[in-house]
Parts: sequence; C-alpha cells; structure tokens
Amino acid sequence: MSLRASRRVVLFLAAGAATAFAAGALSMPALAAGDPKELIQKTADEVIQIIKTTKGVEREAAIEKILLTAFDMSYMGRAALGTHWEGTPEAERQRYLKAAVASEAHAYSERFGQYGGQTLSIGKVTPRPNGVSVVDSKLNQADGPPITMQWEVRDTGQGARITDVKIEGVSMVMTRRSDFNSYIQGHGGKVEPLIEELEKRAGK
Amino acid sequence: MVKGMFKAVASNARHTLVLAVAAATLAGGCATNDTGAAEVWDPIETPNRFIFSINRAVDIIAIRPMAVVYRDWMPKPAQRGVHNVLENLGEPVTAINEVVQGDPSRAATTLARFVVNSTIGLAGLFDVASSIGLSKTKEDFGKTVGYYAGVEPENGGPYLVLPLAGPSNARDAAGLMADYAVDPFRILTYALNVDQLLYSGTRYGATVLDTRVRTMYALDDLEKNSVDYYAALRSAYTQQRADLIRQKREKTDSRGELDRRDNVALVR
Repeated sequence: MSLRASRRVVLFLAAGAATAFAAGALSMPALAAGDPKELIQKTADEVIQIIKTTKGVEREAAIEKILLTAFDMSYMGRAALGTHWEGTPEAERQRYLKAAVASEAHAYSERFGQYGGQTLSIGKVTPRPNGVSVVDSKLNQADGPPITMQWEVRDTGQGARITDVKIEGVSMVMTRRSDFNSYIQGHGGKVEPLIEELEKRAGK
Repeated sequence: MVKGMFKAVASNARHTLVLAVAAATLAGGCATNDTGAAEVWDPIETPNRFIFSINRAVDIIAIRPMAVVYRDWMPKPAQRGVHNVLENLGEPVTAINEVVQGDPSRAATTLARFVVNSTIGLAGLFDVASSIGLSKTKEDFGKTVGYYAGVEPENGGPYLVLPLAGPSNARDAAGLMADYAVDPFRILTYALNVDQLLYSGTRYGATVLDTRVRTMYALDDLEKNSVDYYAALRSAYTQQRADLIRQKREKTDSRGELDRRDNVALVR
C-alpha cells in the first residue's frame, strides 16, 4: 500500500518535472529564436535602405553606425587579431578596433554599389548550448543563383549582436584572422603596421 | 586522429580502396597538423607565394582582361549556353564520383541529366533537366577524398598554389588529376583521334573564361579588402572546400564548424 502510494508520488513528481522541463524547453528556444532572427531582418532592411538612399561619405557613416550597433565589433576584432590580442596594450587595441571598424565601413560602402534588387530570406535559427545562435539565410539576386549566408549571433551583455557572417561557407572573421595574422608575421610580428595600414585604407 | 581514421575504415569497409587513396594523399597532413581552420597548413609557403605572384601577373595581363571582354561583350544567353555546355561535359565525372561516394541513386540522376541535356538540351546548351526536376550536383575527387578521410575537412594536406589553376592543396590537386584521368570525354576523344590540343584548348580555355567571370566579383573584393591577399585567399579557399565537404558529411548545416571553432580557433 505504502509502496504503491510512494510510486504514485514518484510518478506524479516525474510528470511534474517533465511538464516543467517541457515548458522550459519550449519557452527557451522561443526566447532565443525571436531575437536573432529579428536582429538579422532589421539589419538587412536597414542596409538595403542605406544602399537605396545614400552615397559616399554619408553611406560610410551610416554603415559604420550599423557595424557599431548591430555587430559586436570588439568581439570580432579581438577574434580577428587572434593570439596577438593578448600582447597588445589597451591603447593600441582601441586604436586597432577603431581602424578596423572604419576600414570595414569603407570597404562595405564601396562593395555594395547600387541596389540591384537583392532580398534576404531568413531561414531557420539554430540555438546552441553556449548561447550562440546560428541564423541561416539566402541572399536572392535578380540575376544568378541565391547566395548562402549564415549569421552568428550571440548575447554579449548589450543584447543580441552579430559576431560573424559566413558567405558560401567562408567566415568573415576567420578570413580576416588569417589575413591579419599573415600581415603581422610579415611585419616583424608587430600589430602597429597593421593598424597603420587599416587607418590608411579607412581614409582612402 | 589516427583512431578516427581506423574507425572510418571499419565502418566503410566496402570503400577500402578509396580510403587507401585518401590515406595516402593525406598521410603527410594527418601526422602533423589537424587543427583545421585555426591556420591553414602551408609548409611550402615561399614557393607557393612565388607561383601565386606569377599567376597573378598572368591574370592581370591576360586572363582577367579577356574575362572582362567576354563578360561585357558576349551576349548573356551565349554565356549561359557556354556555361551549360561545360557543366554538361562535367556530368560524367560527377556521376563517377557519386558512385565512389556510395550514392548510386544520385549518380543515376546525374546520368539522366546528362542524357536529357545532351539530347533535348542540344549538346548541353540548355539545362532542360533542371526544369523537369532533375536537380544539379557537382562533385570532384577532392571532395570524395575529403568525404572519406577521417580528418577535419580543413585539412587537405599541404596547401598548394598550382600554376594557372590557383589555390589548391594535396587533396584537391590529386583529385584534379584523378578526375582528369577518369574523364570519359578525354578518353573518348583520345580514342577517336580527335586533335587533343584543339579539344582541350577549347574546353579548358572556355572553362578558364567562364570560371574567371564567375569568380570576378568575389576575388576583386577579397583582393581589395585584404592586407595580405595570398593569406586571405588561402583561408577563403580552404574554408569553402571544407564547407562543401562538410555538407556532404552531415547533410544538415555547418554547425560542426562552429562547434570546432569555439573549441579550437578562439583558444589559440
């Protein structure tokens, strides 16, 4: 009798735990999924708007603002510098980050050219245990096949931010990392020449 | 890593031959470097950079300007036609690779595509097969080796810059040779005494133009926005090949890639 009762209690507890777990499991992805998708959609819309309406210096400023608000540039910049980040003094790090953001903004504003009717269709969001969400998307072009883009979004304490973009399997951060590393190695292992080069590019 | 290799051998016993080739190709790469994307293994960087600079000079003087003329002056439908013909010529090699990859049903679809496009599609000028639901795939022996090799697909053995062909590695260069060796068109034209110079000159010349036009935007961008073009291209090439192989391995997405990056690349 008591055995049966305790078994019932156990079952009840198990059911309760299962329900709680299910509720938790259901609500968690919902929370995590809503944000990254919205962030990518909002960013894509803003960028298309910028390409449609601005040019030159104005466009560069607008893109820089997006890089600073939608992306986590300090995270990306740190990842791109790799092992060299540790040995770089704080003041130089800040100068590097500023130069990197400015040169990326410059590169992007030239890259986009004129708006050619591209649209971004966002696919599934994959939340991962370490807090990173991977957002799949396709960039549809007016001429030619769609381009596969994946966005890495993580919560960095100031809300969800983009920390990497992969285009056809090629990660922006990883490519920059190889690029920067090789440049630093070719210049006596110092970060300074890289910063100067980036500053030069930003001002071009 | 060696363990992983043996596991792969055990679970794919029927593909022993391929694995032997894969193991032979990657033996060098396996032993010393399996850090994947952290940094591409490039033991002969100096000669590579030398060939890279020659390739680049040839590209600037000859290939890119020709590609620009081709892109801007050749009517778009004609460009599409040329592309389709070249792709159609490549279908048999794709089918052979799909058989070796253990996917005969996909190989059958590729062969069906080839038959449809070679006949109704007028020798491949039109991709009729896609419009009747026979979707297109493209395989090469480098991918096949990468598919079976029990290493991270970023590890294709030492990175190589091939004269004219450009970025490659031991795995993909061996794959290129294997694909060339088994190509039915090469064998057939040889057997039929077709002028090899004329045949390969036309086919590979057109391939170079078509490929150069298709990669122009991406390469121009990479060159302009990198501080070390050689290193940036090496990384981009390795990542893209790895992505294609990974797509074959885990027909889902590239989460594995991100998993590894959290573990390896950012720690270094």
